[in-house]
Amino acid sequence: MAYRGRLFSMLALTLVVALLIGGGLAAQEERVLVIGHAEQTDSYDPAHGFTPTTGLVNRATYDTLVTFPDDDASEILPSLATEWTVSDDGLVYTFTLGDEARFSNGDPVTAEDVVFSILRLQNVRSNPGFLAGPDRIASVEAIDEKTVAFTLPGPRPSFLVELTNPVFSITNADVVRANGGTDAADAAETDTARDYLDQNSAGTGPYLLESWAPQDQTSLVRNPDYWGEPPYFDRVIIVNIPEAATQKAALESGQIDIALDLTPDQIAELEGVDGISIFTGPGQWTHFLLMNADPELGGPVSDPLVQLAIRYALDYEGYRELWSGSVTPGTNMAYILAGAFQQDRAFTRDLDRARELLAEAGYPDGFDITLSYPDYTAFGVNMNTNAQKIQADLAEVGINVTLNPGELQVSLEEYRNGRQGFGYWFWGPDILDPIDLLSFVPGGKVAAERANWTIDMVDPEIAALIEQAQVESDPDTRLELFEQLQEFMQQEGIFAPFNVPATQRAYRSDLQGFVWHPQWELDVALLSRVE
Amino acid sequence: MSISSTTSSIRASAWREQFAYIGYQVRHHPLVLIGLVIVVGWVLVALFAPFLAPKEPLAQNVTDRLQPPGSRGYVWGTDELGRDIYSRVLYGARITIPAGLAVITIGSVIGVLVGAIAGYVGGIWDEVLMRITELFMAFPTIILAMAVTAALGPDIRNAIIALVIVWWPNYARLLRGIVLEIKNNEYIEAARSAGAGGSYILFRTILPNSVAPAVVLMTLDIGNAILTFAGLSFLGLGPDPTSPEWGRMVAIGIDFFGQWWMWLFPGLAIASLVMAFNFIGDGVRDIFDPRLR
Amino acid sequence: MSLQVYILRRFLFVIPLLLGITVVAFVIANAVPADPINANLPQNALNDERLVQAFREKWGLDKPPVEQYLTYLGNLLRGDMGVSIKTRNPILDDIRQFLPATIELATFSIVIGLALGISVGVVSAVWKNSLIDYLARTFVVIGVSFPVFVLALVGLTVFHVQLGWVAGPGRLDFIIRNPPHVTGLFTIDSILAGQWDKLGNALSHLVLPSIILGSYVAGIIARITRSSLLEVLGMDYVRTARSKGVHERRVIMRHALANAMIPVVTIIGISYGNLLVGSVLIESIFAWPGIGRYAFRASTSQDFPAIMGVSILIAFIYVAVNFIVDILYYFLDPRIRVA
Repeated sequence: MAYRGRLFSMLALTLVVALLIGGGLAAQEERVLVIGHAEQTDSYDPAHGFTPTTGLVNRATYDTLVTFPDDDASEILPSLATEWTVSDDGLVYTFTLGDEARFSNGDPVTAEDVVFSILRLQNVRSNPGFLAGPDRIASVEAIDEKTVAFTLPGPRPSFLVELTNPVFSITNADVVRANGGTDAADAAETDTARDYLDQNSAGTGPYLLESWAPQDQTSLVRNPDYWGEPPYFDRVIIVNIPEAATQKAALESGQIDIALDLTPDQIAELEGVDGISIFTGPGQWTHFLLMNADPELGGPVSDPLVQLAIRYALDYEGYRELWSGSVTPGTNMAYILAGAFQQDRAFTRDLDRARELLAEAGYPDGFDITLSYPDYTAFGVNMNTNAQKIQADLAEVGINVTLNPGELQVSLEEYRNGRQGFGYWFWGPDILDPIDLLSFVPGGKVAAERANWTIDMVDPEIAALIEQAQVESDPDTRLELFEQLQEFMQQEGIFAPFNVPATQRAYRSDLQGFVWHPQWELDVALLSRVE
Repeated sequence: MSISSTTSSIRASAWREQFAYIGYQVRHHPLVLIGLVIVVGWVLVALFAPFLAPKEPLAQNVTDRLQPPGSRGYVWGTDELGRDIYSRVLYGARITIPAGLAVITIGSVIGVLVGAIAGYVGGIWDEVLMRITELFMAFPTIILAMAVTAALGPDIRNAIIALVIVWWPNYARLLRGIVLEIKNNEYIEAARSAGAGGSYILFRTILPNSVAPAVVLMTLDIGNAILTFAGLSFLGLGPDPTSPEWGRMVAIGIDFFGQWWMWLFPGLAIASLVMAFNFIGDGVRDIFDPRLR
Repeated sequence: MSLQVYILRRFLFVIPLLLGITVVAFVIANAVPADPINANLPQNALNDERLVQAFREKWGLDKPPVEQYLTYLGNLLRGDMGVSIKTRNPILDDIRQFLPATIELATFSIVIGLALGISVGVVSAVWKNSLIDYLARTFVVIGVSFPVFVLALVGLTVFHVQLGWVAGPGRLDFIIRNPPHVTGLFTIDSILAGQWDKLGNALSHLVLPSIILGSYVAGIIARITRSSLLEVLGMDYVRTARSKGVHERRVIMRHALANAMIPVVTIIGISYGNLLVGSVLIESIFAWPGIGRYAFRASTSQDFPAIMGVSILIAFIYVAVNFIVDILYYFLDPRIRVA
């Protein structure tokens, strides 16, 4: 008994001592940045990954041909390509690669790497593949070692903007090939480099992908052979913290430096708190209702009159109250884009008009409908909250909404297959150009594939407008075209965009250089810490 | 006095003795009393919620969102959509309490039957039924609940189904153990030698004696069931988002941690009920367990 | 009966149980309404029949359910649990990555729960119906009356953010690299590597979540200990010991407690299994990369190999733990030996 007791107390003593040592672990010499985020990463392979986290990481590990300025999308700047020309017919873009850039293993960047990366993106046909599909890029060729030419199937003025997207990251062809990569036409079946690229980067960026433990942590380390200005931090860690409340606690105690998923209410609580800074910027995620144009799926909401009625019935001001700093969008065009209708041209609530329209459509007493949406929180905005408000708003005009939240994947499947009659989703522009609106016009990706609104369902005039908008390059004509399209969408569209939450991020005050960008979320190479 | 009136007055005094005995026990187990008061209190609240609640539980008022308790006439403050927390907690009793009771009642009925049969019939039936019981016990709750909810949709009814599937094995095990113990007891031998048949013994002797431990387990479990509903809501599997079910309210509330009234009041409601049932359960065991008298 | 016979009997009946678990896991994984094709193939590929067909073949989706099940069973017996559709790692690798975190947490929680629960239970039983009894029982009950994620967040906010007494979310401070992997249990691994500072850090991260989880276990254990001890204390042989003049403390510790522990052992078995997956709530709040959270994610993204793998794993652990408990019974409860 006595012996056991002594052993036990020795064990306890050791534990206590270890606790005391470890609890006050001194910061190491390394400069480390910790970002807290609810991880949704699908992959870090540029040909496969298509989530905001992928964008953030690949911005640090790779470069694209051209890029945007640090804090907005106002102009196209050279990156790996130092010069480019566009043919007169707008079909051929020729890029000249600079001499300075090199891959992390010392290899120079050649035209062959560019061709390989683009073709691989196209042929692997994964999530981001559609941005490089044959309907968008007819061919890409190496003219010589430092010159690449892209041929488009038709003129498309947004092409340069598209190339700034991190999915167009230029990878080291030799390294990727050595690890099972291929850009051949059957790459979808034969390429096996994804596992390698999920754990290693083969790029030119200031950081290397050190490791990715899915659902746990992503770790970046400094690229020792970087060709440009070396970044401040030696290591960047992106930690998976699925609960916003936990992210907030970890930020307040200094365990993490940046929290990406706080809700507007949590941000409001952190205003003025010592040691914490808030970034507020324009939002890019448009929350909208989708009304299936197929009468068998949409039922009452496939009727254009009902669709317009619903646009009049929503309490837009209320949503702005729910999400402080948010704005009401004019249309599905992201309001940060040139020519997008702003809040002053958006709908305002008019219950009488809504009821009139419903009566005209043959529903004087309203109707019953089910609203499908994912049970999901997107960057701090809880879709359940909005859904409940939508239910309450529409109840005031007699529309009885039954909420049908689904698991994200289950709901996503219905949505992607165009089987949702009445849905609630959100959208962030893939391309930071007004052309993004075309996804929502008849025949567009979201309109046609998700809601069965096809081009043959509208007037030939509108169809002509759409066609022209796809290829028009003159800036003034474009403004005019998209003005008309937006008006059309407001009157006869099958969508009801109702809110764009502001972008709000919280971070430790000793961080400098925090800049949010709609294309890649955050450029960690710009960050430093006050010493 | 006549014979019949003597008999009836003896019977009457027997009832009075029973009540006196119970009353004595309750007085000497104050925690049971507290528990009973709380439970009865909540049941009354659930019954009379429409009369007690100042506002509609589903009525949203976005301009009044996140009001602290006491401001603008909201006794316990408002939630993220401007709904009155006090009214929602009152109405929530009408969902949470019956849901917990439903899970436990249905689960225990199934479990008791399975366990009693397994224990009494014995042999191969016992082994088979016990393996099936263990199968359900071994299976991870979360995954089972997820599958049910994904297949049927997030709804309080489906959450109840999911929990019943998870809960009944506990009762089966308990009952089997009790039945096994009682089976070898002397008065069963006596009954059998007096000519009593199988089902007579089962229903008139074994089951009544099993009631007490089962009831103890049931009262303790109601609290657990309610807590599990909260956990399911937290994971997104519980009742629909507008529901004032307490677990739902707490799960949403922690995202608004600084607005403590959103999670504290429903949390206290849950806690008070769980504690009350715990006290009752402990007390019931103390009162009815013959070995402790 | 002899020990060998007893073990053999128990073992024989465990086999159909394990088989049954695989069947149930298979049914569950396939019960979810959405087609895993749509959940896991990108939009582009969905339009290409060849790719869809390749996916079906790869994951065996094109065969009838019975055949799928038998293929799975065959692989399982060979030690191959398949590959997760979501993480694209072999399930066994995923388990090796996530399970140790939960085991570490569950073990610490059980230890704390036992220490707390038995103490409270003994105190409650010995001073039955006194003020101490009521206080102890009330205190323990408070710990189990609030939803665990509320306690977790309150604990985190008060003890970490405001008081700074314990470490925050995660298994280690995020800037610290994991100790070299041997078992996956950071406490053991850091001892083996001689990294004492990491041991301390890991412990400081374990303190809060295991106390919270432990208090749940403590509640149950306290109750069982109390009632079991009371029962034993009323028995004949205890009365005999008392009448012989044995000191009361010795009576409790020597004679009564051991027998009173039998039901407690059962509860440990059940609790451990429950903790493994019930930990998903704590793991969410504390950003703990454990198997509970993994199971939850697998379930929501219809990653059916992962769903099956984790279900089977957890169920097997549960069966194994209870098997051990049954064997312990053999030694603890003499009535079995003479049956």
